[in-house]
Amino acid sequence: MKIKKGFVLRTVCGENVIVGEGLDAINFGRMLSLNETAAWLWKQAQEQGDFNAQSLSEALCQEYDVTPEQALQDVTETIQNWKQLGVI
Amino acid sequence: MREQYYIVAEHLFCVEADDGILAQMANYEPFRTEQSNDALFSLTVTDGGPIQFIEELSQDEDGQDIVCGHTEQGEPVFEFRFGGKTAGWLVCSAGYREGMLYLSGFQSKAAVDNALMIQFAMASATLNTVLFHAAAVNLDGKGYMFLGKSGTGKSTHARLWLQNIPGTELMNDDNPAVRIKADGTAVVYGTPWSGKTPCYRNICAPLGGIVLLSQAPYNKIVRLKGIGAYAAVVPSISGKRWDSRIADGLHETENALASNVPVWHLDCLPDADAAHLCKDTIAL
Repeated sequence: MKIKKGFVLRTVCGENVIVGEGLDAINFGRMLSLNETAAWLWKQAQEQGDFNAQSLSEALCQEYDVTPEQALQDVTETIQNWKQLGVI
Repeated sequence: MREQYYIVAEHLFCVEADDGILAQMANYEPFRTEQSNDALFSLTVTDGGPIQFIEELSQDEDGQDIVCGHTEQGEPVFEFRFGGKTAGWLVCSAGYREGMLYLSGFQSKAAVDNALMIQFAMASATLNTVLFHAAAVNLDGKGYMFLGKSGTGKSTHARLWLQNIPGTELMNDDNPAVRIKADGTAVVYGTPWSGKTPCYRNICAPLGGIVLLSQAPYNKIVRLKGIGAYAAVVPSISGKRWDSRIADGLHETENALASNVPVWHLDCLPDADAAHLCKDTIAL
């Protein structure tokens, strides 16, 4: 899967927020607040381009001290959330 | 064709047009300058069109459409329509520093105003400047801005301040500019663009507060912070956010505003109590 065109990660007053700025996302009409891990995953997903739960959780394990099971569960939840919101 | 120079929010720009057009630009007179070095942008106004372009997005407000797009060469184009009829086409180059406005002959003055607002907003976006859709008043040396969707009552609330709070002056009724200065302070400026109210004042004041208005059957005001403040401010700022260079510039200014200027949400009736509540809360 891929991040949809036009969504941008911004730092707003010290917090991580996804906003719709591109032509395809300009009518998103809301802002999505991300915690530190979710923001890290977003950047990772952007770097990977075409990503999935497996590729992100592997990356998460390399960066943070977390078990593969826990990583996969966190990533799966985050991806589920992004899917529901329509940003990926 | 003649050149005239203007300074708005401390940004210098040049308009090159024939005398017939320049004679209609009375709202720009308070902003005229003899200075002519280092203009941020220049607009050349001529008869012509239609301009062929690839459409990106159409923005509709108050029976007026602005269609954004680009030429085959990739130059940004803006078409201005009033009641469905085209008044002109603005073709920009050099990062919005140069503009050519082709007039159809219908609503020429409105097309010139639109072209200059767009060029001003785009060219200054990366210079800590934003053009707001808001009404702005001045009280005791500070500026206060009222935001809200079209028809919410921005002008009405500003007028209620003028009528009920002694010492209040109208700075601008529709399109004030805000600039973050080098020391981090936000300053609000009058501009030559003020909607239906002829209020073209070359004045500025440190920005003391921003108030997002909503209509309600009661008056209530709450402070917004962080993301809430940012989300209140962003929809009232003109821009072409799908151009990432402009979006980055706007974001920087919007983030500075949300972080450093008190932002409020006022649920209000169109009455004197709303103005008093607002003033007593935000103007300390």
